[in-house]
Amino acid sequence: MSTEKNPQEICKECHEKTRIGYQYNDGFFGPKLRSINHLEVGRSKIISSPITITLEFLYLVYEKVRDFFVRIWHSLFPRRPKIWGEHKNTRIVGTLRYAHRNELDVPIHHLKIEFWARTWWLQWRKLSEAYSDYEGNFVLPFDLRTARSWKIKKVQAEVYQFTHTYYDGGLLKLHEERFKVLPIRKKDLIGMSYNLRTVRLFLWEYRTDTMVPRVVIKDHDKDAPQKYSQGRKDALIAQILPIELTKIKHLEQIKLAPETISLQDIQNDYPESLTVCIEKKLPGYTRSDEWFGLRMMNGMNRGYFEPDPTEPGMYWIKYFGVCNYPHNNEYALPTAEIKFRIKENGLPTPVEIHLTGPLNAIDKNPWQKHLFTPESGDKWLYAKRIARVNGGFSTEVDEHFCGTHLNTEQYAIAAYRNLRLNPLSELLLPHLKEVVLINHSADKMLLQEYIPSATALTYEGLQLRNKDVMGVLDWNGWKPMRVLSEAHTLARAENLFWNVVTEYVDWFFAEKEDGIKKYWKEIYRMSEDLVNNAVPVFLSDVNLDSLSPEEKHLAQNRLTYYCGQYGFEKNKNRQVRNGELKAVSPLTLSEEYNETDWNGLKQACSYMIMMATFMHTWINEHQYDDMGEVLYNCGGLRFSEKPEGVLQPESELSIAPDLTRSTQMLFFTNFLSRTEYGFITRNEEHDINPEFKKRLEVHRKAFSDLGVNIDNIESRTNI
Amino acid sequence: MTKKLSLYRIIRNRIRLWIDLFVLWITAKAFGWMLAIFLSFPYRSRMSHNNGIAGQGQMKIVGNPEFPEHPFYAAGKVFPVRVRHASATFLDDAMNCIRSISIKLSHNRFKSPFDIEMNSGQTSLFWSAASFLKFGSMRKEKWGVEYVEYNRLYPEGLKGAQQAVRRHATSFHNVHYYSKTPFLFVGKDGIKRYAKYRVKPFDDEPESGIDNNPSDWDMSNQRVLPHETRGRNFLKYEYEDRVKREGAKYRLQIQTRIAQDDDDPEVFNNMILWDEQIFPWQDLGVIEITEVLDWKESTRMGFSVNNMPKTLGVLPAKSIFDYNSLNYLRAHSEIARKARMWSYWFWGVPPEIPDNDNRNVSDWGK
Ligand SMILES: [Fe+2]
Repeated sequence: MSTEKNPQEICKECHEKTRIGYQYNDGFFGPKLRSINHLEVGRSKIISSPITITLEFLYLVYEKVRDFFVRIWHSLFPRRPKIWGEHKNTRIVGTLRYAHRNELDVPIHHLKIEFWARTWWLQWRKLSEAYSDYEGNFVLPFDLRTARSWKIKKVQAEVYQFTHTYYDGGLLKLHEERFKVLPIRKKDLIGMSYNLRTVRLFLWEYRTDTMVPRVVIKDHDKDAPQKYSQGRKDALIAQILPIELTKIKHLEQIKLAPETISLQDIQNDYPESLTVCIEKKLPGYTRSDEWFGLRMMNGMNRGYFEPDPTEPGMYWIKYFGVCNYPHNNEYALPTAEIKFRIKENGLPTPVEIHLTGPLNAIDKNPWQKHLFTPESGDKWLYAKRIARVNGGFSTEVDEHFCGTHLNTEQYAIAAYRNLRLNPLSELLLPHLKEVVLINHSADKMLLQEYIPSATALTYEGLQLRNKDVMGVLDWNGWKPMRVLSEAHTLARAENLFWNVVTEYVDWFFAEKEDGIKKYWKEIYRMSEDLVNNAVPVFLSDVNLDSLSPEEKHLAQNRLTYYCGQYGFEKNKNRQVRNGELKAVSPLTLSEEYNETDWNGLKQACSYMIMMATFMHTWINEHQYDDMGEVLYNCGGLRFSEKPEGVLQPESELSIAPDLTRSTQMLFFTNFLSRTEYGFITRNEEHDINPEFKKRLEVHRKAFSDLGVNIDNIESRTNI
Repeated sequence: MTKKLSLYRIIRNRIRLWIDLFVLWITAKAFGWMLAIFLSFPYRSRMSHNNGIAGQGQMKIVGNPEFPEHPFYAAGKVFPVRVRHASATFLDDAMNCIRSISIKLSHNRFKSPFDIEMNSGQTSLFWSAASFLKFGSMRKEKWGVEYVEYNRLYPEGLKGAQQAVRRHATSFHNVHYYSKTPFLFVGKDGIKRYAKYRVKPFDDEPESGIDNNPSDWDMSNQRVLPHETRGRNFLKYEYEDRVKREGAKYRLQIQTRIAQDDDDPEVFNNMILWDEQIFPWQDLGVIEITEVLDWKESTRMGFSVNNMPKTLGVLPAKSIFDYNSLNYLRAHSEIARKARMWSYWFWGVPPEIPDNDNRNVSDWGK
């Protein structure tokens, strides 16, 4: 054991050493990955043989040549903003509505519609443009004679989807993409109005097959409401390749020569993680009470310390296990309740661990209880590992996936469906973009494939759990975590960031007050979508009296803890829709600007930005720190067939994940924390308000003192 | 915004106008001849208003005209008059049809100093030669259902149809009829004006047959109702009885406005009403019908927008999209009326519409 340095210095060194970098050099004959959509748990579509790489190269050449000609083509036949025609005596009229069977009557407001003509010599002439109104109706006035001119070969109406705003030389620009082309026979234009009738659009539709609000994505590449930016795709490819190759190598080896590979080999093949690094310099430290408390407080888990009702100075962190969700009987996931004492240095130390539920494959009683203390000898070590693993699982599934990914998606769908002319689109959409895409990938890779195979919960169980956790997520009344001590750096950083966000949002609202009020109805509709599609408040749809005493206690225990953990105020006045008490509070219930909703709206916007940025980044970037060593932490411990079950040392590999799941886990934690792209200060896509960046920069040093590099805070949840 | 005057602009505009006028002329001529060759002569048919009844009597210009003085409409002047009411386009009065009145200030079949044709409804189903031709090409009638596609594509056309049809009018006499597209009006003062005409029952009997809540997608279905008890000729019988019993007395009214060189072209749009507050309807004359003509005589009648004094005639049109091109088309389809007359001479006058149960038809043979 090194005695020259104290643990803090070693941890700092290891933090530096294991910090995520961008070293991968993509050489010509290096393997290529086409896009994130082609990633799979088992074997990504890596093109690795020289022949396919050459073909791929030729394809890329073809693409480049094609893009070149497309560019030339577009420059030869530009679409200029000038509107042709002098007498706007004729109109194209119509109505935009959703195409989904449940929304046939729902109008789509403020989409842009343009009316274009093309001459026989292929030049484009814009004849008219307009936005649909709140009823979805649009009127495109145009000059009949210009449209019917002999020079015109064809005419068409085009519907544009608002995608994002960006800043070009300090000026705000709107980006709209052509969404649908509606051809019109030129000879049918005879004056007065031409009726395009009801134009139905498949636009940001809600799925009807999920328990939580999700968007319909028919085909990730071709038929999705959004696309990843090219920069995001490129960054991913550059960063993911080595770990993808490592995973593939392992999977092949496991298949062809399992006797040649061990868990240790797998661990060694991946980049050194924080705990591996520290363990090399300070063996045993990462399994100590000190480290356990430190990571629970300031690590990926960002644990919520619930004050003990009877003993001042004592706190509880609770990781709820399988509860009554559908689960398998191979992996352990008991409920872990950890009692902490805050030490003089402000950091917590565990004093008791209460486990509820099976610890081996034999006794399946879900209500069995086990208490461990530092006096329990080796079992204390085992109990900490069990609690840590449950903590990893709960943080990933509850905090990370529900709390940030799914939570942000529900705001993203409602925002993209409704915010267009309202300046809130400028404020929110840069932070809400791409989340639906990554969630769609997560559905398949993580929710359906990896997690059910490597942890205790089934896919169905995960979905039910997602719905329950979503039931305690609401912007209304949310506050950042309470700071317990000087050493509670996560909470201090969180509070600091929240202050920056709220002040920035205040500034934005003051700047854009008129526009926000003018297009208030967009906010009303966003709110209605949000509320109507929200999940019910946790337990609001359960009759507690019908439960057994143990179940009832668990349910109430969870509700109380979750309320603290997710800043959920039970007693807010929430809406009942379709017989359900909806978890998300309305932004407004008024179609017109309403003074009383102003501050709430600011709070809601701040919340959305907070979740999509800091809250997500925190967990996401710390995944490899806290789940980068299989034996230290993983998604689930196997019971094994021994009566001791999970109360066995790390050396007992029958309770650790198998080799396949080990490499998959390390792949995922690497992949998710190393392929971030789209940061607030780097502002790769010029979509972040410079004011936000400026306000964040002011606190660079303060954040740095808390261990947070503001350059690493993502502007959106996209990985 | 004023554009700069240039020789180029003058020449360009002039050439454009000539081309437009040529296209209009050829369209109107071709339309007239097509009508004559393919409809009027072979089918002994009018373009649309075959199902009608005519009567005659006299019209007296009001004694104290409030409209601008015009020698043709001299106060108290009495004209012989013939009117013909019809249902367009079907040979079945119980269908959901547009009703019409055509007025001729003479007792002749055709020759007259003044004809005017009016339909029910304040606005029309089409507004220019281009739109009329589109309307005609999209009729696609089958068993009393027509203009399905037209009604889908052209909201104003659909609205025009909705407010112009009069299903179950109780009488031709109590429907209000409008000339819609304006005509020229140059009165005694020589000032150029535009005029619109309408006809109402003299005694202000309430208008009948209006559907106040029409269906947007069933408008094309003009078929008799499922349990209809009224016959194919009920309106004509009613008119005959009414005239025998008490005569039919109408009020002909006029709306005029002074022409301005900056008039919006929409002034001529028959789909847009002139504000009655600004351009009030004034009584022009009182028509009294005392005698009903038989089927043959009423079928042999013809009306034309060319039967008008020069000072009250059709306004010039500049292109097929010009709202005035509708009357231009009417003026140039005289050949179709002549072809119909030749067909009577050649095939005989078509028979009266029988009171049988061949409902929902628009062909003579059925
Ligand atoms: Fe994430």
